[in-house]
Amino acid sequence: MGYKDETEISDFQLWDKKRKNGSLFAFDIELTARCNNDCRHCYINLPAGDEQALKKELSIEEIASIADQAIELGALWALLSGGEPLLRADFKDIYLMLKRKGLLVSVFTNATLIREEHVALFRKYPPRVIEITVYGVTEQTYEKVTGRPGGFQAFMRGLNLLIDGGVKLRLKAMAMQSNAHELPAIAAFCRQYTKDYFRFDPQLHLRFDRDEVRNQLIRSERLSPEQIVALEQGDAERFTALQQGCSKLIVDEFAHTESDHLFYCSIGEGECNISYDGIFRVCSSLWAAGTTADLRKTTLREAWQILVPKVLGMRSQRAEYLENCRICPIVNLCLWCPAHAELETGELDLPVLYFCRVAEARAEAISKTTGDSQP
Amino acid sequence: MSVSLETIYVQSEDVVSRIIEDELIIVPLVSGIGESDDDLYTLNETGRAIWSRLDGAKSLNQIAEELLEEFETEAETVQKDLLGLVEELVNRKLVMVR
Repeated sequence: MGYKDETEISDFQLWDKKRKNGSLFAFDIELTARCNNDCRHCYINLPAGDEQALKKELSIEEIASIADQAIELGALWALLSGGEPLLRADFKDIYLMLKRKGLLVSVFTNATLIREEHVALFRKYPPRVIEITVYGVTEQTYEKVTGRPGGFQAFMRGLNLLIDGGVKLRLKAMAMQSNAHELPAIAAFCRQYTKDYFRFDPQLHLRFDRDEVRNQLIRSERLSPEQIVALEQGDAERFTALQQGCSKLIVDEFAHTESDHLFYCSIGEGECNISYDGIFRVCSSLWAAGTTADLRKTTLREAWQILVPKVLGMRSQRAEYLENCRICPIVNLCLWCPAHAELETGELDLPVLYFCRVAEARAEAISKTTGDSQP
Repeated sequence: MSVSLETIYVQSEDVVSRIIEDELIIVPLVSGIGESDDDLYTLNETGRAIWSRLDGAKSLNQIAEELLEEFETEAETVQKDLLGLVEELVNRKLVMVR
């Protein structure tokens, strides 16, 4: 007879089946848009005491219903993010409810609200992973980014509680003007405590709520293309990966693409996002009109099975897109995607000059070190 | 730990089993199940037939008889597989003696 398959998780045939069937793998749910930090670069945060935002948040019953629908569609992974998810008084109940449904639950937190009770919770009911962003490794830098006096001390206290409690963590960083000088130290710090790998992200998204004052601040925090390349070159691990992946990242054949499809990334391949007030998105940054669904008015199944194919089928006739981004051989080095283009320009199919400059700088750096004359 | 055909076993309350894309996935809820907190378990059709019967009501002998009816194979093979799987499940704390 024989009764079991000795297989690593990553090799489960299940993943192939799910990919083939276009079924749902995972969903990210922003438990709140509120945060106790006020980070300069944040694309979502509202004040911790924002009553309006609080009122709009999905209740635990609504989250349970969405989770049940996701499970019916085959989801195995759930990510709880925010805002700061630990601001919710019912965080523990939500976390346990999702775990008990047989989901593999991960949590994104800034760690500043971690208490002994959270450590006990995570020790007994382990998350798939807890990801923490490290904004700085000195009080001055951390609090400049987060805008919160006492934040660094709270962060270190929470982090140490988790580390001492043996909870597995993945540490990451956002790269911006306010912490650029400290990034090597941040990277070293993160690599010391992360469970597997460290990554930093220089891509500062614009606000989901399109708040122009905050967007100006985000733009002012963005690193220049030269700074990004210098950072990546200074990080041997990352730059080696970029070089090794060069053949996949720079694709000359793209220049001959005739397709006018907008989306050719991996969106819709098994994952979706749900905002704190129940708005379904195919990817977290995609807020354009006609690409979202309100899960308080429609079902997740309808959103997944009707809206997603519709979004993936969207096309563009705009010359600026068809003659630039769509055929760009270095688009894989670029921060551009329709979702970010829309946040930047109001249109899904307009190029974004800053993104072009970053891609060009990266391509030039790679070609210099790999000996290619032309990226 | 050795298992016996006379004993009744039950799935642990600390795991959740789910059918996804026709595969049985066993998801541990708490730490200390399996070798690491990252472990997931999947069973093939036979394992699934055994797992679904570990309901805290039937002894392994009774389960063996049901399996003999379902799978056209030797009684010795059924018992060997049944004992082998249940022993492994017990060792990993996925099932327990009722």
